[in-house]
Amino acid sequence: MNAQSNLGSLISDSLANTLDVSLPLFRPELCLAATVVLLLLCRILPVLKHADSALIALGGVAFGLWYAWSDFKSLPTGGDLLAGRQELFTGLLVYDSLTAYVRLLLMGFLVLYIVFTKVSGIPDREDGADFYTLVLGSTLGMCLMASANHLLMLFMAVEMASVPSYALAGLLKGRKASSEAALKYAVYGAGAAGIMLYGLSLLAGVLGTCHLPSMALGLAKVAHVGADGGSVMVLSLGGLMLAVGLAFKLSAVPFHFWCPDVFEGAAAEVGAFLSVASKAAAVALLLRVAFSLGVPAASLGVPAGGDAAAQTLAALGDTRHFIVYVVALMAAVTCTLGNLAAYGQTNMKRLLAYSTVAHAGYLMMGVAAALAMVGVTPAGSRDAISAVAFYLGTYVFMNLGAFAIVAVLRNTLRSEEIASYAGLVRTSPGIVVATAIVLVSLIGLPPFAGFVSKFLVFSALVEAITAGAERPLMLVVLVIGGLNTVISLFYYLRVLKVMTFDPPPAERASEPFPLVSLPGAVVTALVVPVVGFGLFWSGLYAAAQLAGAFAS
Amino acid sequence: MDIAAQLPLLLGLAWLAPLVSFVAILFFGPRMGPHGRNAAWVATAAIVTSLVLSLFAAGTWLGAHPVQAAHHGAGGHGDGDHGESHAADAAGHAGHASGHDEAHGPLAYAGDWYALYEGGALRLTIGWYIDALTVLMFVVVTFIATCIHVYASGYMHDELHDVTDHEVHLSGGGHLHRPGRFPRFFQALSLFCFSMLGIVIAGNLAMVFIFWELVGICSWFLIGFYYERKSASTAANKAFIVNRVGDFGMLIGLMALWGALGTLHFADSPVGGGEPARPGLFSLVRPAAGGHAIQVPDGMVKFAAAAEVAKTPAAEVAGKIDGWRGMGLGRWLLFTAGVGIFCGCVGKSAQFPLFVWLPDAMEGPTPVSALVHSATMVAAGVYLVGRFYPVLTPDVLLVIAYVGAITLFIAATIALVANDIKRVLAYSTVSQLGYMMLALGVGGWSAGLFHLVTHAFFKSLLFLCSGSVIHACHTNDMRKMGGLARVMPWTAGTMLVGCLAIIGAGIPFVIGLSGYYSKDAILAQALSFAQANPAHSILYLAVAGGAFLTAFYMFRLWFMTFAGEPRDHHVADHAHESPAVMVAPLVVLSVLAVVAGWTLPGGFGLANLLEQARPAGTAEGMTGGFAFGTLVFPAEHLSHEGAIHVTATLTAFATALAGVVLAALMYLVRIISPAVVATILRPAYAFLAGRWYFDELYHALFVVPVLGIAKLASGTDRGVIDRIIDGLAWTARQLAGIDAWIDRTLVDGLVNATATATWNAGLELKKLQTGHLRQYVMFIVVGTVALFVLASLLFRTSIAG
Repeated sequence: MNAQSNLGSLISDSLANTLDVSLPLFRPELCLAATVVLLLLCRILPVLKHADSALIALGGVAFGLWYAWSDFKSLPTGGDLLAGRQELFTGLLVYDSLTAYVRLLLMGFLVLYIVFTKVSGIPDREDGADFYTLVLGSTLGMCLMASANHLLMLFMAVEMASVPSYALAGLLKGRKASSEAALKYAVYGAGAAGIMLYGLSLLAGVLGTCHLPSMALGLAKVAHVGADGGSVMVLSLGGLMLAVGLAFKLSAVPFHFWCPDVFEGAAAEVGAFLSVASKAAAVALLLRVAFSLGVPAASLGVPAGGDAAAQTLAALGDTRHFIVYVVALMAAVTCTLGNLAAYGQTNMKRLLAYSTVAHAGYLMMGVAAALAMVGVTPAGSRDAISAVAFYLGTYVFMNLGAFAIVAVLRNTLRSEEIASYAGLVRTSPGIVVATAIVLVSLIGLPPFAGFVSKFLVFSALVEAITAGAERPLMLVVLVIGGLNTVISLFYYLRVLKVMTFDPPPAERASEPFPLVSLPGAVVTALVVPVVGFGLFWSGLYAAAQLAGAFAS
Repeated sequence: MDIAAQLPLLLGLAWLAPLVSFVAILFFGPRMGPHGRNAAWVATAAIVTSLVLSLFAAGTWLGAHPVQAAHHGAGGHGDGDHGESHAADAAGHAGHASGHDEAHGPLAYAGDWYALYEGGALRLTIGWYIDALTVLMFVVVTFIATCIHVYASGYMHDELHDVTDHEVHLSGGGHLHRPGRFPRFFQALSLFCFSMLGIVIAGNLAMVFIFWELVGICSWFLIGFYYERKSASTAANKAFIVNRVGDFGMLIGLMALWGALGTLHFADSPVGGGEPARPGLFSLVRPAAGGHAIQVPDGMVKFAAAAEVAKTPAAEVAGKIDGWRGMGLGRWLLFTAGVGIFCGCVGKSAQFPLFVWLPDAMEGPTPVSALVHSATMVAAGVYLVGRFYPVLTPDVLLVIAYVGAITLFIAATIALVANDIKRVLAYSTVSQLGYMMLALGVGGWSAGLFHLVTHAFFKSLLFLCSGSVIHACHTNDMRKMGGLARVMPWTAGTMLVGCLAIIGAGIPFVIGLSGYYSKDAILAQALSFAQANPAHSILYLAVAGGAFLTAFYMFRLWFMTFAGEPRDHHVADHAHESPAVMVAPLVVLSVLAVVAGWTLPGGFGLANLLEQARPAGTAEGMTGGFAFGTLVFPAEHLSHEGAIHVTATLTAFATALAGVVLAALMYLVRIISPAVVATILRPAYAFLAGRWYFDELYHALFVVPVLGIAKLASGTDRGVIDRIIDGLAWTARQLAGIDAWIDRTLVDGLVNATATATWNAGLELKKLQTGHLRQYVMFIVVGTVALFVLASLLFRTSIAG
């Protein structure tokens, strides 16, 4: 918007832009919002009182999925990959292939999730509307996280995703553990949000803008001009405080404390939502922030490919170096601590909580490698982002599958302790096989999807090392990642050992869990892709590669 | 649907049906009815499906490519217009699918279903190469397999309940008692059919090799079906190991082709996008530009002239290739490739010197002998030579001819004195395979493959008849049989048809059984070759002598088994005709053994069908050779003309008649006593009865030295290496004692301390984790501050400005 235009044309321009450009690309979110409204209406209008909220939610999300899919399909695949990039709502949001990919992933997840929760029966009819309202609202926030292009929007999106989650954690009414989990989550989240908000204000104050790409230009100018030490320090502090907020969402160490408590206290279904959707959105946001601040956006007056772009890119080297170090070190620590802490766990949900922490570490390694390779080997950087995107795609099925198994076993065994799974192979071999597939995939062994994901992330690290991008750091991270995979073997396999070798407890009176049943079908439907993407991964990888091109 | 799409679909499904049956029986076999009885139905249904699909494919083929009237058919007895030129024939084919007319090569369709691997020049695919030969082989294999599935469902009846194997003596003195293995038999049979059809349909040599090994493993399963019997398991291992020797040669051949030419596809494979097709082996060795005359392909020339190529600028290489080819570079490589592939065929088709495994393979159940070890699998070697024919140079063909001649002669002589009914047939199979190889080797492409088909019919018939006899008598020894014709009229009659077919009985120049046509064609081509190359006349003598021997031993078998008085009343009293389910296939096969060679008015017949698949450039004969002097391979149709045809037919008739008469004199009328003959010719008899002592020779040459080396090695191992290792181990133990002490006191102490520290840290962490929300929030602040401190340390320079 230039200053010469008068107020009238300014309004009409922005209105036209909103109606013609922004809203059509915002349809999936609009679907979610409309569904939330509809669900709330269900609680008020007596006519709709008996409507099945799961079905309404499923219908709304199906529309969202359809739009997300058609948006993704219409992305430009060849030639100028950035042609599809659009800033929406006067730069508050950005629409590009990463947005489209993550949104598609979230919508797809949501469809599976609603079916799964409906079958596992956690939202009993009375609370059903509330449950789905919260889930959909939170997902709306996550979609915004994936497309945030402005500090304000970033904060709003994070809060929009978090606040419903707090309520979800306390869903099991009347259970002390659940209420405690909700309270802890809420207070911890508030603390993290406060720190992040403080950091955001510092950043915005020094750089004079909240628009992320403009902030990148500001950072480049700071590097050019050589600002005084004070403002650099403030910037670093602000960046770190922003990182705290993101780390909270990612449950990265040392801001992961909420994670095990909340997962253990809340229902397994809620754990599934937090560990998959929330994680995917947080990783997308991390990618977004890291690349928005570390790479000059082509749309901002700096013509791509020219000398000016190269200069700006070079000027942002220090910023990237800083971000890469913070992300990589945090990744290494997160991964190691998550895996080590999972060792002694006796509760399956708590174990999966630490597993989630550890996987956040692997994902952050990919992000670090991607940013490190910017300016050194753009193709390698794209590959690294694709690896992260692919990881997220397979992670949906692995982790949702794991939590689904916990949920259906809870319904049968009335317990989520690992010890209660002893000797399950004798009565319910099907579910044990499914568990084995999911856990082995989480370890990252072939022929399952987890192997491919982990392979891609590690090969991105190797690519960074061979290209000489932050070589010593990447080498350390790669070694730590490899060691962690070995470490993780133990606790995942221990669950399988209990399930197969240990004698079943004498007092177990429950009937066997047959795979041929509705819950069994859900578990199977989640496990089959884990095998499928391990064997035929080119389709998903092609989609991930599209997402990987968002920043270049 | 387009025929080019229809044929691969039909034959592909026919190929996969037995695989479905195999998988089904593998997983659900024991649950298919009581004792898996219904496995037989599953397997039979699958192979019948294959048969029906193959017949559809054959119908499609014949509809699109009607068989032309003979101009050089093997019939020879009619008044086919022999003088018709080849050009006229080419005109007859014009208008068929473009690119498949005779001007470019034989009528064939090729393509790929699935690429196993594609990278660089390497391209391994599952594909097809379908011509008249493929279609014919599909029909023959599935048809015989169907007959044998039906027959086996009766023959393997014993396996339906617990079996007491009287041939296995346990250490306790009793016999082995085991559960029946009915489904397992049909499972292996189905896998075999799948593998065999895979060889037939294969579009490239790599795929051939895969299925080649698969039939090998099936053969191993089936020979060793009674694996508790030492003889059976030994025979299975022998067959497997001997075949590996041949396959070693085959691998060398594959590597020679692959290394020099970079492709293993038979036919050209289209690339798409308007680019020229990647040439296959056939067009590399016989380029259309050269009128399909055989030549050393460019790749091999370059390979052999590597030193020259390195010196020549890249642009000039292409121009110099013809010069290098003229110097003879690369021809040894092509020779090696041909002989290498033939080595595999030597193993699989039981040719000299690797034929020793086939007679032992008769330890398997008789239906297996009929299907695997006479009609189909052992014919795979012949089939591959036929399929690979365009690449074989004159020198390779001569090698093949001589190997065939030696095989046919040795095997026929051994068959003269064998007393085990199945062994006679086994040696007869070896001998007949030798015939086919010889035919191919002397340029009789059509004759060899024609004999392959007719032989498949009458040899499976003969084996099934022998199975029927064994089923009735519970013995393989012909000396205990005799006079069975009265109690087993159907078996005796059908077996007589089989014997007549194998000796090539017929009224000269008028009509005959299937063997009459195919054998005459071989004889005529051998004669034609001998006249063109007088130095190699011995090949013709081998064929003619072989015909006499064949007639003698076949009728010796028949007379000993069915004619005269019973020699062993115990056996004769229990003998009975086999059930209908076993007799029916005999009748069906005997009808085919009679008519398979006939050429109907209008020219329809197997020989003419085969002509459609004749490799490009082989119809006109071939002259060449460098290693064994110049060889002339007369065109095959010349052997059906005039003097050669008459001489060959009369020779065949005379030798066969002489053989039958001699056999009758010795075993029917008994004017000549076999015992007296054996006494007079004692050394020769002992030599033959000892099977030329090949087993002993191989034992002495290979087995004993290997065992000796093994013994030496194990002695060295025990006496020297083990001692050293024991010493080292002792030292290590002593050191370990010291080490253990250090470990226990120092290292473990350290580790335990670490573990305790970690554990305590975990407990501390746990303390932090429980409840205290204030501390959680504290941690956020502490974490942020810690991050900042860390960052300030790391980025001291940049932050300090």
